Amino acid sequence: MSSEDRVQVAASFILQSPPGEINDVLNDVRVIVDDDAGLEEGILPALREYNIAQFTTVEVPGEHHQTIISEFARVPDTEAERYLDPRSKISFVFNHLTLEATDPQSEEPSEVEPQRAALESAALSYLNSHYHDGVVTVLAMSTTRFAIQIVSNKYNPSNYWAGRWRSHYEIDFESRTIQGRVLVDVHYYEQGNVQLSTSNDSSISIPAAVSSLSPASSASKIFALIEAEESRCQASLNDAYHEMGEKAFKGLRRALPLTRQKIDWDKTMGYKLGAELTASNRAFGAQPR
Amino acid sequence: MAEGPDPVDSMLDLMRRLPPTNVEENVNALIQICPDYADDLLGSVDQPLKVKTDRATGKDYLACDYNRDGDSYRSPWSNEYDPPIDDGTSPTPKLRKLEIAANEAFDTYRELYYEGGVSSVYLWDLEDGGFAGVVLLKKAMTPTSPDEPSGSWDSIHVFETVERGRQAHYKLTSTVMLELVTKQNNKADETSVLHEPEKKASEQGWKSSGEITLSGSMTRQTEQDWPVHEPTSHITNTGKMIEEMEMKMRNLLQEVYFGKTRDIVYDLRSMDDLNKARRQRELQKELVGFIKR
Repeated sequence: MSSEDRVQVAASFILQSPPGEINDVLNDVRVIVDDDAGLEEGILPALREYNIAQFTTVEVPGEHHQTIISEFARVPDTEAERYLDPRSKISFVFNHLTLEATDPQSEEPSEVEPQRAALESAALSYLNSHYHDGVVTVLAMSTTRFAIQIVSNKYNPSNYWAGRWRSHYEIDFESRTIQGRVLVDVHYYEQGNVQLSTSNDSSISIPAAVSSLSPASSASKIFALIEAEESRCQASLNDAYHEMGEKAFKGLRRALPLTRQKIDWDKTMGYKLGAELTASNRAFGAQPR
Repeated sequence: MAEGPDPVDSMLDLMRRLPPTNVEENVNALIQICPDYADDLLGSVDQPLKVKTDRATGKDYLACDYNRDGDSYRSPWSNEYDPPIDDGTSPTPKLRKLEIAANEAFDTYRELYYEGGVSSVYLWDLEDGGFAGVVLLKKAMTPTSPDEPSGSWDSIHVFETVERGRQAHYKLTSTVMLELVTKQNNKADETSVLHEPEKKASEQGWKSSGEITLSGSMTRQTEQDWPVHEPTSHITNTGKMIEEMEMKMRNLLQEVYFGKTRDIVYDLRSMDDLNKARRQRELQKELVGFIKR
């Protein structure tokens, strides 16, 4: 296998990393591929893809909050990988390997800043209401379209579990729709490897009346819709758990046989069969050694 | 290589982290990178069991690394390899007799607990005198409608036994792989969360579709001593041990799949308004302070 092919396989492993375990996966991959030079050279695109797909967060230089690394936040025409924190209007260079943000610069706010800021303020208040450790970013994609990303991570390696909740919404005031996607991943790995992986796509219409409201009022209406959808999504996960437990799990293997008694193995073996075996080969068990 | 970490350890650690749904393709990818470790990997990473049909008897059996010789798999029913090979490894006639009886016994076990599915038992002699075996059980459920959940259960029980006089010592390693999938489709045009009855229903459209997958494997070990009166005692003994182990593991899986993973989701996002909870706690504190006064 060529060095490039090995790095390609390594990249596919990295992209499958469970929440909070990318460094463990990287350590394993380094030992397995055994080609640090090749990895260093070829692995960066996979790390970049992972960071963007998994809503990797970083502390904004000089600020006391975190922001999400995303394609929407990418500042164009820069040689380095520069990303914008829309909340502080500071851009920074992000290193996809070390996850460090450096070289902060101020950016000019866009013309739709009032609407964006209103959505951000509603987003932060929503985050505070439903997420224990969440980070949210709200970015203007055009004068009528906004991207909202939410991520909440919990890593508990000492108890062998980790989880990540990602929400992504695109709000389009022109077509009056919210396109949403919620992804939840959980990894439980004490003496095993159990993973929950969910995805939920939704499409919500924004009532016509909302567009005539002030930025603050329309933002809070939009977050009422998002809150209802996310709570519905979480409740339907509960329903799915119930379905899978009652229908699939019980249908796969019974807790006890129909008789509600454990098996009588001596009977199951059949005395005849047992006797036959004993007679034909003088007790496998009582064989002299 | 002698100083650094063992690549096999890293591969096994990696397999404990990557999604269980991709175990087959990931094992294949690892084998491509490190062909020298193929046997170590195939022998230590449990993969979903494949169902094959015995050409001689028409009965289904399970294929895994333990009944594989090259690219062929041995059926426990006819003892024949498929595709046929001339010198495929087979248990000694004595052990084969026990294997036949074990297959019959676990077929009954399968029917009582799984009410369907496939079972297979394979035995082999150990160099130091004892013997070892694997008991495999698999059941898959395909949904009858798109909203029904689907699922599969694979049990792999590997045991080794050494006789000590009229006793035998058993070491059992059990792995259960369980996968459950639910698809959801919802659509509503009439109920709006904003309740604006003056608006047309079509303007308050909402639809969503989702998929939920719970998948994985858990492994447990036990060592026990049981009396041996006759060869078939080994089947009775391992039968009791495996029945007990599956019972424990079923409870464990239920707890982890439906309890732990759900709790973690609620640790990420709360259904209830956390601000309300915070205010309530504040109020409680005030009350406690008030009473203490």
